[in-house]
Amino acid sequence: MAETHYHICPRNCYDTCSIISTTYKGRLIAIEGNPAQAYTKGKLCAKVMDEIHKVYSPQRVKYPLRQRKRFSGQWERISWEEALTIISEQILAIKDSYGTTLPIAHNKYSGNFGILHNALEAFMTGLGPTTRAVGSPCWSAGVEAQAYDMGAFFCSDPLDMEGSKLIWIWGANPAWNAVHQMPIIFRAMERGAKVVCFDTHFSATAARVHEFVQVKPGTDGLLALGIAKVLVEQGLVAPDIEEYSLGHEQFITYLKENIDLQECAEVTGVALDAIKKLAMDYGTIKPACIWVGFGLQRYSNGGQNLRAIDALGALTGNIGIPGGGVQYGHFESWRYAGPLAHDRLGHPQDRQLDINQFAPLARKAEPPIKMLWLASRNPLQQDGNQEEWRELLKTLSLIVVSDLFHTSTSACADIFLPVTTHYEHWDLNSSYWHYYVGINEPAIEPVGEARSDLQIAWDLSKRLNELRPGTSAFPTEGSEQEAVWQALGPEMLELLGIDSPKELLKGPRRVNFPATAWQDRKFRTPSGKYEFYSARAAEQGLPALPIYKPPLKPPADTPLRRLTPHHYARLNSQAYAVAAEDNEGGNYGSLIYKARINPATAQAYGLKSGDKAFLWNRGGSLPVIIELEQSIGQDVVIIYQENLTNPKGLYLNQLNLGVLTDMGKFATGAYGLALNETFVGIRKEV
Amino acid sequence: MAKQLGFYLDVNSCLGCGACIKACANNNRLPSSLKWRQLRQVDELNYDSGQVARFYLSTACNHCANPECMRVCPSGAYAKRRDGIVLHFPDKCTACRSCIASCPFSAPQYNPSTGKASKCQLCYERLDKGNLPYCVQGCLTGALQLREMSHNPADNLLRLTAPLPTLRLTKPSTFYKTPRKTTFL
Repeated sequence: MAETHYHICPRNCYDTCSIISTTYKGRLIAIEGNPAQAYTKGKLCAKVMDEIHKVYSPQRVKYPLRQRKRFSGQWERISWEEALTIISEQILAIKDSYGTTLPIAHNKYSGNFGILHNALEAFMTGLGPTTRAVGSPCWSAGVEAQAYDMGAFFCSDPLDMEGSKLIWIWGANPAWNAVHQMPIIFRAMERGAKVVCFDTHFSATAARVHEFVQVKPGTDGLLALGIAKVLVEQGLVAPDIEEYSLGHEQFITYLKENIDLQECAEVTGVALDAIKKLAMDYGTIKPACIWVGFGLQRYSNGGQNLRAIDALGALTGNIGIPGGGVQYGHFESWRYAGPLAHDRLGHPQDRQLDINQFAPLARKAEPPIKMLWLASRNPLQQDGNQEEWRELLKTLSLIVVSDLFHTSTSACADIFLPVTTHYEHWDLNSSYWHYYVGINEPAIEPVGEARSDLQIAWDLSKRLNELRPGTSAFPTEGSEQEAVWQALGPEMLELLGIDSPKELLKGPRRVNFPATAWQDRKFRTPSGKYEFYSARAAEQGLPALPIYKPPLKPPADTPLRRLTPHHYARLNSQAYAVAAEDNEGGNYGSLIYKARINPATAQAYGLKSGDKAFLWNRGGSLPVIIELEQSIGQDVVIIYQENLTNPKGLYLNQLNLGVLTDMGKFATGAYGLALNETFVGIRKEV
Repeated sequence: MAKQLGFYLDVNSCLGCGACIKACANNNRLPSSLKWRQLRQVDELNYDSGQVARFYLSTACNHCANPECMRVCPSGAYAKRRDGIVLHFPDKCTACRSCIASCPFSAPQYNPSTGKASKCQLCYERLDKGNLPYCVQGCLTGALQLREMSHNPADNLLRLTAPLPTLRLTKPSTFYKTPRKTTFL
């Protein structure tokens, strides 16, 4: 008989969709979007549609594996007992040699955002102090910028955008990366809203809206300050600004004394008339919503860019009104309880290493790192500083990777542990964009010998305590479902408006926040007001005001800025094309990246469309095929993140030299990765 | 007049997100080299005018009023239903490839796993049960729709998919809404 189950897409994506699966005789046969969840509305994106094939893919790793020699690709199947014994003995050997568990390191990020995927962190806490990768490669600068301005990043319910009269999509490409927001934007357009897209290049989103503003990369903050200056000059500042903000006088003085509109136009590439027109629109059309994407904060001045844009919302009184706001993201519906709650994961004496400088910091660590467990990420392909990674690996005595498929990272592993998909385990998920929370149910038995992260943590705890009783304080058995109930503590139940966690089994529920963030204008800053002037920023050695800081200048020999936006069919290096890859015998199809450049740039390098060339810098050399696109700036190369799933292939981030963002340490524990500060030269293949 | 079902695409809400392509390929279990539905980006980039049109054409079989595939097929492997759907019957197909060569829209393609021609059948079995075609079902914005075509005027965008004379000849049952342009500020 056919059965249905609820799932939540657990990926690092705005949409965090509610999925309904159908199984027949214990086998997954169909998935669809849940029509009852108001954001997913019954639809799924192209990335997810291959999932059934992915679950049963012949490429999926279904048994624990051992690799005798790293990077040899010579894997042998071992039992879970053997795998857990090898790991346990390593942990015990480390304790004996060093008298501490600090040489044990865990490096995990966003491969799966479900709360039960915090199991390994909780297990490690039960061992004692260990070494952890902290922070995020992604959104840290923006999170911190909003922490200075408003006290926290907290966006409105994305459905609130439908009521906007003016929508500015700034540095985001929802047409490809947050597809469920587009129907909301289209509905706003049908109701007469004007929609403007700001980006470094003409994106799929820009093509669907009324106006496009092409901003030179990394100068978004200056553009916002230019607009702010016009707002002030035109008397379009909110009359009640005094009541809800702090430091607006200093900010206005800064604008008057330091921002030159002519210079602003030259630096940003946006014409003076356009800047004035944008300001007039933003100052006179209400409510006006700005959606700030992650792109414009992936710079060495990324936090400042965001603070300058936030200031527009505050100057005009758009923050806190329905259909207004400066929307970035939120963590407000992640208030979980129990041992897997995010705020309880660490040990007080943990050694915390910045996730974006993990390899260089780990190499210098004392006591040294000897065992590394990598989960939910693929740093040997996606991190900057690849050279540092290669050096670090040489010093490690055990590398464990838990994943679904082989990746560039698993190539270095001694032990590969196969994990379950979200169709095979219980979990609990919130979104960092919409307001829904949902339970993920298992629909099928684990494929092969795959185990959930939580099961692995229990089993390892058990094995360790068999070998040496008392080593692990983490439970040695349990129920996944029970872990879900534990995570839904009284605070979450109240937010969800339910008496028992089991009521969430009926489908995802919206947390009961008002649809408009900051509607009472009680901000979580020290002053309780919106802080144009942030003493906390100053304490961190940053400018107290949102001011203009230029992005990095390219070195003379590598003059082109390389941008790597997401593609509609991919999310970073996660495997979405396994169906095609299986059909092609795992040869992963066409592997060469398309480098899109302006025809004038091509001419300067003697290149034409279809030419083979190399992008290079001191990180290495990446073969590409040239495509011409008139809408791309002359000092920019754009490579969409396609073709990233081949573990043997060349990868984009070998050219990423690991530049960091200006903000992130205070709010997230580590600076972000300034991916868009990557500079390359082009050499024609001869 | 007989019914004529066909695809309607509002290019102003098509995101080029590939959901229709994947929905078609996965649910019809097509080998990876075969796509009954395809996506093309069309750019009309005239910067001097300050207005730029970029749109995505999601195309499949146009279920023509006068299907050329059916006309040229020597083995009677094509038929047109009363609702206008052009059907291909693989069991009658001799893989002569006449249809592949003659369709102005390149809708029929060679299927390496069956050794026959193959094309979009407009999910007729789903339609017969009252369901939408997979591609239309999968579209996130409602840009791609299934419609009765007889009331729609022929549209100039079809010109992008085939030379004009053949359009008059085969009368494709597909309608594209005129794209709105984006203003470059």
